[in-house]
Amino acid sequence: MFDLAFNSLDEILQMNGHGIYVWSVYVVGITAILVSFIIAKKRLREAQEKIRVANASS
Amino acid sequence: MITAFIHKFSSPKSFVVLTAKLYPYFICIGLCLISLGWIWGLLFAPEDAVQGNSYRIIFLHVPSVIYAELIYFFMAVCALMHLVWRVKLAAYLIKSAAPIGAMITFIGLFSGSIWGIPTWGTWWQWDARITSTLILFIMYLGILTLHGSFSNLEKADRLMSILVVIGVINIPIIKKSVDWWSTLHQPASISVSSGSSIDPSMLYPLLISVIGLGFVLISLGILSSRSYIYTREKNKKWVSEYV
Amino acid sequence: MLRLISIESFKLFRKLKSWLGPLLILVLVLVAFPLSIDISQYDLEKFYFSIIVVSLLMTAFVATEGMFEEDFEDGSLEQEFLIEKDFYKLALCKIIVYVLLIGVPIAFIGSIFSFANGVAIGSFPKVFLLLSLSNLLLFNLFAFGNSLSINKGAMLGVLSSLPLALPIIILLGRAIRSVQFGDGFSEMIALMAGVGLIVSALMPLIISAALKTHID
Repeated sequence: MFDLAFNSLDEILQMNGHGIYVWSVYVVGITAILVSFIIAKKRLREAQEKIRVANASS
Repeated sequence: MITAFIHKFSSPKSFVVLTAKLYPYFICIGLCLISLGWIWGLLFAPEDAVQGNSYRIIFLHVPSVIYAELIYFFMAVCALMHLVWRVKLAAYLIKSAAPIGAMITFIGLFSGSIWGIPTWGTWWQWDARITSTLILFIMYLGILTLHGSFSNLEKADRLMSILVVIGVINIPIIKKSVDWWSTLHQPASISVSSGSSIDPSMLYPLLISVIGLGFVLISLGILSSRSYIYTREKNKKWVSEYV
Repeated sequence: MLRLISIESFKLFRKLKSWLGPLLILVLVLVAFPLSIDISQYDLEKFYFSIIVVSLLMTAFVATEGMFEEDFEDGSLEQEFLIEKDFYKLALCKIIVYVLLIGVPIAFIGSIFSFANGVAIGSFPKVFLLLSLSNLLLFNLFAFGNSLSINKGAMLGVLSSLPLALPIIILLGRAIRSVQFGDGFSEMIALMAGVGLIVSALMPLIISAALKTHID
């Protein structure tokens, strides 16, 4: 169950011709999730900043 | 009594305080599990006898479509709470969950169509489950557009909740579409009632990926709901005290 | 109820583009389609029904566009709310009037065109029944979409109600296959009639809740 299914890095990338499908899906998926995290973090920081500015001015 | 209980534990303040504490644990658990699941599935799980290595897309595809439906179901429960008990937090959660739902449904559709190229020989087919998942994606977009088109946010919350509750009818259609119509898409491989048809060496990394992605998405939900709550409640005293 | 039905019928008749427009669009699509393809190359009988179904969807959408807008703008919605305290009766009557005055004629024209394109004339009542029932469902759904968007334009109405209309179209597609191949037609009709009844009873409730939100 825990034996590596491939013998070399090249085999991992190629995956018997299916590498392009498998890796493109994971790249797009991870990118979408990462971008969502970045946007959410940015919005949270902006919202907190606005409240801090409002607090400071009052 | 139910109303009192719901109102006590559904104040935006207690939600923000609790989730801010939980977030670091959730994201750590999520990242560890999803890395474990994907490394196991991509590098260690054996090659499938029929589909070859293309089946490894399953470790992203299946978790994402599971959450595409689950997030909608969660939104429907929140919508009901908002409509029946007027829980403000429920509306905030729907608004924060909808973009995440749209994103994960997109990943599910994209991974499914790419998986279709080597296995079915086509990237798209007007098959029951693919079409109904596309409907779910449009539904998420519709909910976001509806909310965005009203300047009165309380009104937008209520209308959005009504649409979410009505749209829940699509969930059983998506779930059962593969059984009701004879289509290209295979029936579910894992079922609570009849067990699994997948080999354990593939099943375990799949289950780990499902749980891991769940934690990652909850963390993402915590982040976006907190920023949305701050935006909506910015004039409240507790927000300025807490931030 | 009768008072509302007569008022709504009068209002609809007065708005010529609301009821005549959809009928003409349907005729235009159904006539233009066979002219725009090479009939000698394609077997029109096989897929002409799909064109009817899609045109039905389009015309139902055009017919219901701005269903509550005028009432919202001129204050009749608020007046109705003061009298009745909710909009159940209003929504129900509006849908009944729209289905009878626009939906049924659309179904009739669709059925005529279906047998003009090779479908056996004996199937006319079946096709008419099917199209009328699907119009009942579609008008209910688009009325719901309109009650959400009210005066925010057609785009929002489509986005919010189209995902719900697609399962109906899938169901209608299967029902039409049962007409063509002659099996399981009564089951499909029973299913659609059942769904139609439930939707017609419940949808005005939901529409009423959405309209109340706009009035608040």
